[in-house]
Amino acid sequence: MQIAAISCQKNDDTNDTKETMVPVKTDYIGTVTVTYQEQDYDNPDILVIYDPSQDGKTVSITLKKIKFVPQMPVTIDVTIPDVTTSSKDGKTVLTCDEEDPISMGGPMSRYKVTGFGGEIQGDNLSFSLNFGSYPTRFSGIEVKQ
Amino acid sequence: MKIPLILYIISVFQVDYDTAYTMPTVDVTEHRQGISLEKTASPSITINEYQLNSHGITNQKSLSGIVPGLHIPDYGASLTSTIYLRGFGSRMENPALGMYIDDFPVADKNMYDFDWEGIRSVTLLRGPQAMLYGRNAMAGALSIQTLSSADLDGIRVSAEYGTANSIRTGITIPAGNHLINATFRHTDGYFMNECRKSLCDPYTGGGLNWKWEDCTIGRYLENIVRASFSNEGGFAYGSYRNDSILPVNYNDESSYRRFSLLEGFKVRKNHNRITTQTSASLQLLADRMRMDQDYTPQSVFTLEQKQRMVTSTFEFSFRPVREYDHWKPKTGAFCYFKANDMSAPVEFRQDGINRLILNNANSNIPDDMGYLEFEETEFPVTSDFEILSWNTALYHESIFSLGRWLLTAGLRFDYEGAWMRYDSHALIHYRFVPNMSSFKPFSESYEGSTDRCSIEILPKISAMYSVPTGNDDNMLAVYLTISEGFRAGGFNTQIFSDIIQGHMMNGLMADLGVYLDNPMPSVGAEHTVYDPEEAWNYELGIRFINRQHIQAQVNAYYMDGYNQQLTVFPPGKSTGRMMTNAGRSRSIGTEAQLSIYGEHFSTQFSYSLCDARFVRYVDGNNDYSGNSVPFIPKSTFYAGADWRIPVSANSVVLHADMRGCGPISWNESSTLREPAHLTIGGGISWTTDRIRLGLRGDNLTGNQHPVFYFKSVGNEFFALSKPRSIKLSVTINL
Repeated sequence: MQIAAISCQKNDDTNDTKETMVPVKTDYIGTVTVTYQEQDYDNPDILVIYDPSQDGKTVSITLKKIKFVPQMPVTIDVTIPDVTTSSKDGKTVLTCDEEDPISMGGPMSRYKVTGFGGEIQGDNLSFSLNFGSYPTRFSGIEVKQ
Repeated sequence: MKIPLILYIISVFQVDYDTAYTMPTVDVTEHRQGISLEKTASPSITINEYQLNSHGITNQKSLSGIVPGLHIPDYGASLTSTIYLRGFGSRMENPALGMYIDDFPVADKNMYDFDWEGIRSVTLLRGPQAMLYGRNAMAGALSIQTLSSADLDGIRVSAEYGTANSIRTGITIPAGNHLINATFRHTDGYFMNECRKSLCDPYTGGGLNWKWEDCTIGRYLENIVRASFSNEGGFAYGSYRNDSILPVNYNDESSYRRFSLLEGFKVRKNHNRITTQTSASLQLLADRMRMDQDYTPQSVFTLEQKQRMVTSTFEFSFRPVREYDHWKPKTGAFCYFKANDMSAPVEFRQDGINRLILNNANSNIPDDMGYLEFEETEFPVTSDFEILSWNTALYHESIFSLGRWLLTAGLRFDYEGAWMRYDSHALIHYRFVPNMSSFKPFSESYEGSTDRCSIEILPKISAMYSVPTGNDDNMLAVYLTISEGFRAGGFNTQIFSDIIQGHMMNGLMADLGVYLDNPMPSVGAEHTVYDPEEAWNYELGIRFINRQHIQAQVNAYYMDGYNQQLTVFPPGKSTGRMMTNAGRSRSIGTEAQLSIYGEHFSTQFSYSLCDARFVRYVDGNNDYSGNSVPFIPKSTFYAGADWRIPVSANSVVLHADMRGCGPISWNESSTLREPAHLTIGGGISWTTDRIRLGLRGDNLTGNQHPVFYFKSVGNEFFALSKPRSIKLSVTINL
């Protein structure tokens, strides 16, 4: 639960509110939509694992069992390894530089991640990005344990 | 009670042809039956030692056809022993025919095939004989009686040489109550493996047998020890393409090595009111089979199966000492325990890894994503098993004699259980190119245990009516029998490499984060167990015996089979094999046999017609209901004749025989069929009071017909019958 994953800590000297990431792994479920040949292809009920690093500065986001195009005879797990988090207006903002996703045992440069942007608000996680030439977006809610 | 000596001298050296041509008599079988065979309401045939020699019967396989409906194709190796009778039987696991040696049950089919040296007679009873012979005697029971010391006057030495550099020697030594028999056999083989540039079916083996009997008033003791070893090739399977059977052509070793031991002890004792028989046996089997499982020149996969098996059996039976005029009861208990330590690793080689594993996996992965590869050029899938099985049975049979009627009623209660621990492993190193720069280990294991048990209640009733003939030398009887038999269930140890393969590939893909839309078929634990096969038999027969010259039998039967055991591919696979229970089948048939014995001439005819069909069999993909049960010959035929020509004090005997078999359907869909075929054999022997010289030929026309068919890795294969062979033999009675 992302609310639990982020705690607010009062800084007595500055009265600023500093966000501290607590490394808690959280699962979301929702729909991944891939745009292919100008048509949207929905992957419903996709599990997305939000996995903060030990220091809480980055998270990895893993999309489980997705297809980029309907014709794919397989579904694959894809991990975006270094997503940076920050807090703004009560939301967790997710950003990511251009990087290779991890899939099938290693980096897949063919499906380089670009244009990543997302946020967590309440129980909802949403983000969008390009996997290579495939515009992709996700919107889902937290899976309550 | 002394074992009755056979009424005729079976040995051809002490030839007494007046008796050699008379009816064979048997004692161990009749003792178990509790009644003479001619009064038994089951069709039977007894072949004495003289006939074994003249007909060229050297093991169970050569009984095919002579026993109506019996089909034991000669292929594979000594462990094969595929036996079909009355529409039942399969090429693996438990046989549909029970085998007894000197009234001791042979506990495992892998020990069925041995050289018949020192055999006094064999008797085969057809139809379910579970009542007295227990498990697996579903289609019949084969009772083998060995020679006793009383059967021989002196030492007998024999030697034989023939086609394929075949040598066979034997020595039988009677000494007091002891009889020792040693045999050795070698053949270079008949089938050339073109890939290995060598004969693929050589055989070298031998046996050492000891029998001791002691008989005092009211007590009979017997101990037998039978040890045998063999080191052989086999598995002469040629690819079938474009309607042609190609020569044997595979690259990896296929061989079989076996050591077996049977120790049996029997006590028969007359007490005040009852006669008891107690028998116990200990049986050991140690064997190793290596097999090129793809039977092609490619390095696909091999199997090495080792077994270390110990079996003990115990049987106790009793019947009244004073046999009542109208009632002959027999009551008994039987139990056996078998422990088998088995390993059966399958070795996947380069071509197999590529064809069976990587190609399958990569065909599901889009090319632009990359591909999977293994570091290993070969790797084993190990499978180790500990299998315990046990059986306990109680039985009672009563025979009522009411005038010309002989009525039999019996019931057997059989409890059978088994437990198996399995441990199957595979380890490979894989990488996904181009994503992974180095190989990553991945292992899969499948461990656990399973068990099964079953209870069989096996009734038997029969009625025989002796028709008055007005001549004491003649017997004419009509009988009706209803009985049930079963073939034991068991475990499919063969499919564990398929289980681990399926788990490994699906697990490996999951480890990669790749999930196939159509996952590789995974054989589950539910397929490791199969149930007993059961059959009800309804039979009507007529038997005529003229005690001097003729023995004739004709019978018709209807057998209703449940849970028929069939060898099939594991679900979704094109390799491997497993036993499954295939719904229901039925066999309708008739069998006839005629033996005519004259002073200088004797002849035997056997014929059977069997229509065996699936009543219900759907394998998940196809409905085979109504189709013929594969591998079952529609008919078998045998005609043999002996003509003795006295030459002063000696004799020349000419023998000729002809066997027919078929047509046979090779698959469940009945799309591949084999027409009926005939083979011709014959021989001539010259016999003095101490020496016999013989020349015998088998398959004289050189007609090599298919005897076995199977598919592996999408290829079809046939085994052919052995080519023409000629043997010259000499036997000396010292």
